[in-house]
Amino acid sequence: MRLLLVEDDPNLSRSLAAQLEQAGYSVEKSTDGREGLYYAREYPVDLAIVDLGLPSMSGVELIKQLRADGKEYPILVLTARDRWQDKVEALKLGADDYVVKPFNVEELLARVDALLRRAGGWAQSELVCGPITLDTRTQEVKVNAAKLELTSFEYKLLEYLMLHAGEVLSKTQITEALYSEDFERDSNVIEVFIGRLRRKLDPENSYKPIETLRGRGYRLAAERGAPDSD
Amino acid sequence: MALVRSLRARVVLWVSVALVVLFAATGVVLDVAFRNSLDEARRELLKVQVLGLIGAVDDAGGQLSVPTGNLDPQLQVANSGTYGALYTDDGGAVWQSLSLLGRDFPIDYLAVAGDERFERLDVPGFPPLEAFLKGLTWEFSSGRATDVTFAIALSLEPYNERQAAFRRILIGWFLGITLTMLVVLSGLLTFVLLPLKRLERQVREVEAGERVKLTGRYPSEIIGLADNLNTLIDTERRRLSRYRNTLDDLAHSLKTPLAAMRTLLAEQRTKAAEPAQDALNRELERMDQRVSYQLRRARATGASGLGTEPVAVAPIVDDLKQTLDKVYRDKRVRCSVEVAPNAVFRGDPGDLTEVLGNLMDNGYKYCKARVRVTAHSTPERLVITVGDDGRGITADEAATLFQRGKRADESVPGQGIGLAVVRETVDLYRGTLDVGRSELGGAELRVELARAGLL
Repeated sequence: MRLLLVEDDPNLSRSLAAQLEQAGYSVEKSTDGREGLYYAREYPVDLAIVDLGLPSMSGVELIKQLRADGKEYPILVLTARDRWQDKVEALKLGADDYVVKPFNVEELLARVDALLRRAGGWAQSELVCGPITLDTRTQEVKVNAAKLELTSFEYKLLEYLMLHAGEVLSKTQITEALYSEDFERDSNVIEVFIGRLRRKLDPENSYKPIETLRGRGYRLAAERGAPDSD
Repeated sequence: MALVRSLRARVVLWVSVALVVLFAATGVVLDVAFRNSLDEARRELLKVQVLGLIGAVDDAGGQLSVPTGNLDPQLQVANSGTYGALYTDDGGAVWQSLSLLGRDFPIDYLAVAGDERFERLDVPGFPPLEAFLKGLTWEFSSGRATDVTFAIALSLEPYNERQAAFRRILIGWFLGITLTMLVVLSGLLTFVLLPLKRLERQVREVEAGERVKLTGRYPSEIIGLADNLNTLIDTERRRLSRYRNTLDDLAHSLKTPLAAMRTLLAEQRTKAAEPAQDALNRELERMDQRVSYQLRRARATGASGLGTEPVAVAPIVDDLKQTLDKVYRDKRVRCSVEVAPNAVFRGDPGDLTEVLGNLMDNGYKYCKARVRVTAHSTPERLVITVGDDGRGITADEAATLFQRGKRADESVPGQGIGLAVVRETVDLYRGTLDVGRSELGGAELRVELARAGLL
């Protein structure tokens, strides 16, 4: 998952980005509104975290522009102003949630997680596709109620596939979502990890959870077990 | 005249005083002049009467007599108010008029020959009189001469009556003129004071939030006042917004470092440093609570709403409902809104949003699944209730609930300062905040807000 963090305080930005990366997201940082808008327009982003009090272009203006551009990914607002008029305005303009500074990092991670889940069409923190169950909160994966041990990267890959269950995802998309910008891209890596994931999820090769669409990418084929009614 | 508050009363009072003084002086002058002219006329008449009497005297045969045929008929009519007598120097009355009805002429001394004088008489049996006495030496054709006195007295009564009648007319006219002038003045004042009335009405409307500024053309004497009031309203508004911007900047510059500190602390957690980090976190949280509380408190202005329209409650509730529905999406709260279309708040929209936001957030936070928001207006107050189906608030909790920074349930994350801010804001609007039981089963918070005062 690729996040855009637009925050002008260097300490906060660096530390928050580090913790988001630790939680498995790839993070683009930007310290002012214009730069943020540029990133948001030029790079594929799954979620943006925007501080409202930004230099050169206010967060509110940034959100307005993004929505006007037709960007639909979730936007989480960071704000030092905890008055309701600001919250209402930010959400009216197209933000999806807000966190008031100084926030608890764990709470922010939970909000980010929930927003991404919802953007994928999932209402609960537990994602179910056929026999596979993935709990985004505990990061536990079960197949037919049996717990599965995954590496951190495998987990992120599966989570990404499950959040977009039913959609075709190109290798580039997956790479960009899972790695930061400076990572040297090698599409073979994704192939290798998809292969590993297939073996772990379906050792008997019975239900083929991940389809390969030649030249187009991959798709998690197992049917969603808990479709969102949102 | 500090006691007389109304301009109209002041003008009427002082004009009345001026008119009374003016008319009293004029009345006295006219009265005296009229009396003088009456006196003059009466004395002329007395002189003419005496001359007539002299002309009527017959001295045939060395005897003075007054043949009645030549006399003024007034002297012949009983009690006519005109009396006459003729004395010789031996003191005897040669003749007294018939009008005396046999009484003596009320004066018996003689005028010195060649002398004449007027005399006021107040004699029992007679009305007040003025007499004219003329002494002269009568020469008979025989050459003999004797000193005689001719006397005529006229009753003052008809003159006094004319004087009184004159006074009555005078007073009548003056009263009439005074009343007419006051009526005309009153009408004139209404016309003249019209712009002031309009100014007053507009100020009241501005105060009530029905008007944004004073408009229309004002006369040159008060246009300065109207302009100054507009400037004041505008300044007040801008001052408020500058004040709030300052608070926003302050919030940003205080809270971003706090956020950075907390984030940095969370980043480098090691087993050994954990107790210290937890302690630091608690301190940071306390700092944040205090900063938040003070900033939000400072932001609640209880602004008069001077120069602002009345704030409709319904759109604010709808906005907040949408916001909270988004924020509490996973909880799937069913929030029913019953806001009367006429529900308006006369005050600062930010304050109302703050009160409603905190109350509704509280409801969403503590409910199981349902929240109910109602609002309606009376001419004097706005009544808001927010109820939920949560576990409710006990009396003990209610007592501590509104203390700063206290949370009814520490386990639900959020800012416990919300309701404290609500209470502070409600206080600023001379309102009330009560805790009760909602028909949904949980707590119901009820807020009543009075309309804000001027300035």
